[in-house]
Amino acid sequence: MDQQTIVSLLLILATFGLYIGISVYNRAKATSDFYVASRGVPPVWNGMAIGGDWMSAASFIGMAGTVMILGYDGLAYIMGWTGGYLFLTFLLAPQLRKYGRYTVPEFIGDRFDSNAARLIAAIATIIISFTYIIGQLSGSGVVIGRILSIDAMYGTMIGVVVIAIYATLGGMKGITWTQVAQYMILIVAYIIPIVFMSLQITSNPLPWLTYGKIVSELGELDRALGVSEYFAPFAESDKSQFIALMFTLMVGTAALPHVIVRFYTVTTMKAARWSGAWALVFIALLYLSAPAYAAFSRFILMTRVAGQPLDQLPAWTENWVNTGRLQLADANGDGILQWSEIVISNDIVVMATPEIANLGVFVIGLVAAGAMAAALSTAGGLLITISSSFAHDIYYRLMKPDASDQKRLAAGRWAIVIATVVAGAVALNPPGVITQIVAWAFALAGGTFFPVLLLGVWWKRANKQGAIAGMLVGLSVTLTYIFLANNGITLFGIQDTGAGLIGVPINFVVTYLVSKMTVAPSQKLQDEVVDLRYPEQMSYKDGEVWMDDAAGK
Amino acid sequence: MRKIDKNVADAYFRARTMLVVICLIIGGLASFGVVAFAERLSQFTIMGMPAHYYMGAQGAVVTFVVLLFANAIISDRIDKKFGIDEEHNTRVSAGKVLDH
Repeated sequence: MDQQTIVSLLLILATFGLYIGISVYNRAKATSDFYVASRGVPPVWNGMAIGGDWMSAASFIGMAGTVMILGYDGLAYIMGWTGGYLFLTFLLAPQLRKYGRYTVPEFIGDRFDSNAARLIAAIATIIISFTYIIGQLSGSGVVIGRILSIDAMYGTMIGVVVIAIYATLGGMKGITWTQVAQYMILIVAYIIPIVFMSLQITSNPLPWLTYGKIVSELGELDRALGVSEYFAPFAESDKSQFIALMFTLMVGTAALPHVIVRFYTVTTMKAARWSGAWALVFIALLYLSAPAYAAFSRFILMTRVAGQPLDQLPAWTENWVNTGRLQLADANGDGILQWSEIVISNDIVVMATPEIANLGVFVIGLVAAGAMAAALSTAGGLLITISSSFAHDIYYRLMKPDASDQKRLAAGRWAIVIATVVAGAVALNPPGVITQIVAWAFALAGGTFFPVLLLGVWWKRANKQGAIAGMLVGLSVTLTYIFLANNGITLFGIQDTGAGLIGVPINFVVTYLVSKMTVAPSQKLQDEVVDLRYPEQMSYKDGEVWMDDAAGK
Repeated sequence: MRKIDKNVADAYFRARTMLVVICLIIGGLASFGVVAFAERLSQFTIMGMPAHYYMGAQGAVVTFVVLLFANAIISDRIDKKFGIDEEHNTRVSAGKVLDH
């Protein structure tokens, strides 16, 4: 083992120790009333936990690389993944919080008073979270593969074991505070390398202010090479695909079951609004940094690596070539590595750049630990969502309403183990790069849930027939479109990653028309929906709004 | 429990809805609007970058953050105007949760 491997492994093990310590500490403190305690998470901390839960391997490992390779067209990810918080915080989170259920399938089942809707929602939740987790496992494979200098496939196998152990140890309890710690580690690990790169290239420690100049220099370098400029709009895809992708990521963000769940842990609608605002601040820290990361990486590759003789490349290249994610082939046989001869996978840019820029073993190890934090925090949230959809919504609320706590817990554990193993098997040979797989999860979440949740919260006339038809049609249209587009059959130039723009409108229309053609939901359900328009203190009953300002003050 | 005049209840809902609609329109302009006119915006420069690139990389994200905080702050003001007390909300909501 070289020095780099040892430092990276020690940093990763130290952070693992921290996460396990936090979950053990919180378990000891809050055994009796776990649910009540978690309903009282303050908005700022909940915002940070949402940031950790939500920022996955795709954000940490994949996004800067995607922006680096796609240029302007990669920014659809930045705008889509942040803009979704507008939909979520304005239109869904406070209302869902007031409704006061535990999971998304539970909301759908109770709001539409239908066990069929509950079952469909639970299965869709499992499909979405499962797709998403493939991206996380594949991401941890890239990290571990690099540290141990082995093929990413073997890295994934190790990652699956680590995540399975972590999820059962961390379990249901203490997840909020573990995610807070994971957020802090991943954001520090992300910002330190770009601060150093900014110092190195521009002698200014604030990358957010300096990379504009680098972006325009990249444009000049590209013009000199005769390739399209880095910032040229829609050079890599159509405008329609850009808009479709951005829309898909926005509605997906608003409808992802494991993110919505985090809004149930606050006290009130007001706290839900504030958590959404804080969450986006913490998320924006990374998302404002990713384009800087991308610009610096590309600048360093173009000016320091391209143009070098092949036999004088630094040692870091060999390690990355070993993982199978970097190819340096001397196509024209002149012994010099040209820019066009570097084939670099989106997924290794964030991890490779600190090495390329020679930032030292500690920073490189820190980035590895941050990447693992991002993959683990999201994988933890996803596994718990899969497990609760099965154990709570399917097993407990549908199959065995009289099941004991122990049996429900056992069902949940089995769901975690099976999901990890099956997802791990798929992740060994991932069907796309990390950001692409994750975009599919967003398309499925948006296409299945967004219209039904939105209409369920804001339109009292939406009924169970509409919701069932909408979810089924939305899910199957989105799935079909992803398969077709992946095989080259597209509409209006929209690729597989933009499938939400096809699925969501169809779901809206179907839910609306079927609801209109069938009988209205009961008066009680309609009253419950109107009630969601008002804060907790106001309630809607028998066609009147009541204010509860009685005793207790 | 005190019955609230229908006009007052509707006014509350209208004020909150208007706020949300305005915020969504501004957010939509900063993202979808800029993308729609990306080619024409590219001739302007903000912070050393072409304007369309700047809006995608920083401008839109900062706008979203500002909108979320504006919504949270203004919503609190609306609540206050209508005599909503957050502590009371917390008590009411704790009792209304479906626990299993």
